Amino acid sequence: MEVFLPIAEVSVNIIAIFSLSGIVGILSGLFGVGGGFLMTPFLIFLGVPPTYAVANEANNILATSVSGSTTHYLKNTLDYKMGLMIVVGGIFGTLLGIWTFTYFKGIGKIDIVISLAYMYILAIIGTAMLVEGLGEIDKARKKITTKKKLHVHYWIHGLPLRMRFPKSKLYESAFTPIIIGLMVGFIAAIMGIGGAFILVPAMIYIIGMPTRLIPGTSLFVTIFVSVIVTFLHAFNYGSIDLILVFMLVLGSIVGVQVGQKLGESVDSAGLKTLLAILLLLVGIAIAYDTFFAEQMINEVIKIDKNNLNPLSMFIKKLSEDMPILYGLFSIIFALTLGVAAAFIRRFFSNMRKKYYKKTN
Amino acid sequence: MTNLIKNLPTEIKKNKLKTGIFLGLSAYWGIILVGTFLSLN
Repeated sequence: MEVFLPIAEVSVNIIAIFSLSGIVGILSGLFGVGGGFLMTPFLIFLGVPPTYAVANEANNILATSVSGSTTHYLKNTLDYKMGLMIVVGGIFGTLLGIWTFTYFKGIGKIDIVISLAYMYILAIIGTAMLVEGLGEIDKARKKITTKKKLHVHYWIHGLPLRMRFPKSKLYESAFTPIIIGLMVGFIAAIMGIGGAFILVPAMIYIIGMPTRLIPGTSLFVTIFVSVIVTFLHAFNYGSIDLILVFMLVLGSIVGVQVGQKLGESVDSAGLKTLLAILLLLVGIAIAYDTFFAEQMINEVIKIDKNNLNPLSMFIKKLSEDMPILYGLFSIIFALTLGVAAAFIRRFFSNMRKKYYKKTN
Repeated sequence: MTNLIKNLPTEIKKNKLKTGIFLGLSAYWGIILVGTFLSLN
C-alpha cells in the first residue's frame, strides 16, 4: 500500500511507516528515549532522502514530546527554570546546527554527513549500552551490589553565575545547563533528533537533578528545540511533509503508550543489552548503505509532480508559496496532535481507575 | 604487563563470551572507521 509524499517526492509504504514508527514508539516508551536516532535511519532505509528524514522526524518528535510533556505537567514533575536554562543554550545550538547543515548542503555533502553522524552516534551509544548492560547482567548473576556516588563535581560546576533551582533543590552555575543545551541543540538540528539520549545522562550525572523530574524536563526542552528545528527546516528548505508527519505521529504516539505499559513489567538490564545490539545492527546497516549501496539510493523512482492528488497539490503549493505559514502550520499541527494524545491518555487512564474502583 | 600477556590465553578461555563481544566490537569499529576513511578519500 504505497502513498506518494508530495514534498519528499518519493513513494513510501504506509504499513511499513506505521509499523516502524509504532515499534520505535514502543522502544521509546520502554527506555524513555525519543527514538529519533532510530526512526530517522529507518526512514532513510525506506527511501526518504536524509534531508527530508531529518526534518520530518524533528516534527514528529515535537508531537511526541508535547504529548509526554503535557502528561508530566499534569503530574507536576517538571522543572521549568532548569528547562528554560537548557532551552537558552538549545536555541544557540540549534542556530549553529542549522548553519552547519546549510554549509554541508551548499557543498553537496549533507547526505553523507547525516549518514556518518548517525553511524557514529549509534555505534557509540550501542557500544556504551552493550558494555553497561552486560556488566549489569554479570553483576546480577554474581550478586554484586555497588554504591554509586551521589554527585560528582566536574570543572563545569565551578563556572560563575550560580543560581538556585528550587524544584530540583540545586545551587549551581547557569552555564552548566546552557552548555548542555548548546550541544543538544546542535546535534538536534543536524540529525533531526530530540537529543534526549544526551540530555538525560547529562541531567543525571552532570547537573545532578532528581530522577523524577528528568523525563518531564527533558521533554519540555525537546519541545523548544524541535519547534526551532522544524520551523527552520520548513522555512529554509521546505522539507516538512505533512502526510509523512501525520503517519509518523500516529504510529509513535500509540507505540509510546504501549511501551510505557510494557516497561512496568520487564527486566531492564536484558532489554538494555537487546536495544544495544539493535542500535549496533542499525549502525552497520547505515554503514553498508553509505559505503556500498549509494547507487541504489540514487535510483529511487520519482513520480511526475503534475499527477498529484488535490491534497498533495495543496500541501506542495502551500510549502512553496507560503513557507512561513507552512512552518507555523506544521508546528501547530504537531502541537495539537501531541496535546490531544496526552488528554486522550488521561481520559482512558481515569476511566480505567474508575472501573477498578467499582470492581473492587 | 608480562603477567597479563602470560595469563591471556587462560583468561580468554575463561571468558569466551566477553572475548567474543570484544572481538565483535573491535571488528565493528574497524569496519566503520575504514569505511569512513575510504569514503572520504
